[in-house]
Amino acid sequence: MSEQLLSVGIDIGTSTTQLVISRLVLENRANPFSVPRVAIAEREVLYRSDIHFTPLKSETVIDADGVRRIVEEEYRKSGFDKRQIGTGAVIITGETARKENAWEVLGALSAFAGDFVVATAGPDLESILAARGAGADAYAREHHTDVLNFDIGGGTSNLALYSHGELVRTGCLDVGGRLIKLERETGLVTYVSPVLRRTGVCPPPAAGERAHPEALAPVVEFLTQALEQAAGLRPGRDKLDALLTEGTRWEPPDRPPVCSFSGGVADCIYTPQGDWRAYGDIGVLLGRAIRESPRFRGAQLRAGTETIRATVVGAGSHSTELSGSTIFYRNAVFPLKNLPILKLTEAEERGSAQALEQAIGAKLRWFADEGGLSQLALGLRGEENPSYSRVRELAQGLARGLEPLRRAGFASVVVVERDMAKVLGQTMAPLLEGPVLCLDGVGVDNGDYIDIGAPVANGAVLPVIIKTLVFNK
Amino acid sequence: MNEKEVRALVERMIVELAGQAPTPQVKGADYHPMERESTAGDGCLDDISEIDLRRQYLVKDPRNGPAFLDLKRKTPARLGVGRAGARYKTITMLRMRADHAAAQDSVFSHVDEAFVDQNGWVFTQTLCADKDEYLTRPDRGRRFDEQNQAIIQKTFGRSPKVALVVGDGLSSAAIEANAADCMQAIRAGLEAYGIPPGPVLFVKYCRVGACDHIGDLTGAEVVCMLVGERPGLVTAESMSAYVTYQPHIGIPESKRTVVSNIHRQGTTAVEAGAHIAELIHRMLEKKASGIDLR
Repeated sequence: MSEQLLSVGIDIGTSTTQLVISRLVLENRANPFSVPRVAIAEREVLYRSDIHFTPLKSETVIDADGVRRIVEEEYRKSGFDKRQIGTGAVIITGETARKENAWEVLGALSAFAGDFVVATAGPDLESILAARGAGADAYAREHHTDVLNFDIGGGTSNLALYSHGELVRTGCLDVGGRLIKLERETGLVTYVSPVLRRTGVCPPPAAGERAHPEALAPVVEFLTQALEQAAGLRPGRDKLDALLTEGTRWEPPDRPPVCSFSGGVADCIYTPQGDWRAYGDIGVLLGRAIRESPRFRGAQLRAGTETIRATVVGAGSHSTELSGSTIFYRNAVFPLKNLPILKLTEAEERGSAQALEQAIGAKLRWFADEGGLSQLALGLRGEENPSYSRVRELAQGLARGLEPLRRAGFASVVVVERDMAKVLGQTMAPLLEGPVLCLDGVGVDNGDYIDIGAPVANGAVLPVIIKTLVFNK
Repeated sequence: MNEKEVRALVERMIVELAGQAPTPQVKGADYHPMERESTAGDGCLDDISEIDLRRQYLVKDPRNGPAFLDLKRKTPARLGVGRAGARYKTITMLRMRADHAAAQDSVFSHVDEAFVDQNGWVFTQTLCADKDEYLTRPDRGRRFDEQNQAIIQKTFGRSPKVALVVGDGLSSAAIEANAADCMQAIRAGLEAYGIPPGPVLFVKYCRVGACDHIGDLTGAEVVCMLVGERPGLVTAESMSAYVTYQPHIGIPESKRTVVSNIHRQGTTAVEAGAHIAELIHRMLEKKASGIDLR
């Protein structure tokens, strides 16, 4: 059995807006004599859009119609109909995420782009999608090593550290190619990011001055050293701390990782430009400095499989995961979008039916607002090899705990990590009226959001997109 | 000249040539006394069969141990076991023998009758009188005598929707480890689909083909049998489910649907049970099983 799923990725970034359309091939990996195990066997990018400048109405407002026109036009050029699109994600990144109408644009665009196209944002998710798009996670898994991906864009660098294919942490630095902009012909500085003044160490040129590579060298060097410190290749963390994006944290890895670069500046690292003013910013100089840095030269380097398109390819090809292949659903209306996760603690999960009911009841109140309860998904770790009586106890506790939600008219959604969703769902279903959905093979945490699409592969699995908004491991 | 005489002759020749019989020489530098493995303080040895082979890596000073362990997690094969000289380490050799013994035990032991009663299963036996006959006469493990036929007919009645059966098969350990939980999950699942699960039959000295005789005797629409798989060195506790739509004597094997590898490290008993319940539901809907079901 092999089935295809078309997936769209749209990235509305600080400077550019892009779209890709990918094909995900689903395959049953289990032998025919066991319980099925459907997985994504292949991801292939079928269409890459042009790279457009993100249209803005003013410094603080995105031109929503402009963005929509770009997407419409690119769909037309790709030859795919948006009704064919099975899944995908729109991500709004960098500076653009801080615009006044960012969420409205995002919501409208995800509805416009396809039935199950999910709206996402946040620096953690940006780092993760860029690293996946650049193939850093796959490289770490295949080579059993640590990989640190730097996605260096216009305003920020998104960091994601993977160890043996597992995400360890994400971070964000205010290091980018467009912190200083200048006129291509004259070299006159037109813009200096306030970030550079914050650092204080090396005074950047002021707007209106004529810049030379030599004059810019201290700034570029400072940015490069911050990256070196972030990778643990240079002792100390003064420059790293000076450039940490506000409200974020970063711990350099304990062992030197393989360093991987993506984002627009990565192109300037791997294929150096002769003309340093080619893009009217300091991207070329920054790329050159990283390329020539003795610290990075001493480390293992790896070219990202994608550079400037890493984030959009991540959103298109790598945002969708599949649930386990033994799941349960009854009367559920798909897609279920943007469900916050209520996760029980390990101790709470081990409790009796009564204890479970109480624990869920207490936590449900966290998610209630003036309007009362809202739709959410209950997250569990699950058990390794539970007895049936234990499953029944769990089911009773969950069913009773979720009863207030059901009475308020919401579906009972349970997301388990270990392989036990089908038996749990079947046991829970007779105890609960209304829609029931129980899926496994998906690890979620408090603070995450999950989107669940309509079943694929003969109804065996559900496409899910997990949006990690807070990542602390 | 027989073997003994040849051996004597060779020994005599060696003595003549070397002046003395050869004794194995161990140079001082090659001799390392065995490292003491940890032993429990209360005088009890650790149960080596408790060690998860997927997480055990015995190579000394590996270049990248964590990477090898990562690979090991995907297979129960005995890889990365290190060596003592040209041989296995003692622990590897002992574990192999322990696993082999467990495999043999599970073939030659019986499912406890108290276990059958406890679960409320109805006891029956095929034509086989003992394990020897069971192992040497597969044909007799597929049929019942008149007395047992009567029990089967009384248990299931005429034309039930589904007949649930547990057979010992080649591993009694598999049944004791998985069948009770799995059967409970199947029954609950069937009830959720609105299918009356009916009673459960236990068959001693059971082969998969016994399904067909049960089908003929009862006219059951679907017969579902949980049966112990031939044990191997990976696990002695693996169970399969054979589910057949309208089985009858002479039905081709291709008409059976099998769910294998039901055990702790494979598909867990309860999750397999839920899957089997849905499978039965689908078979009743599509009126087919085996390769016809797809």
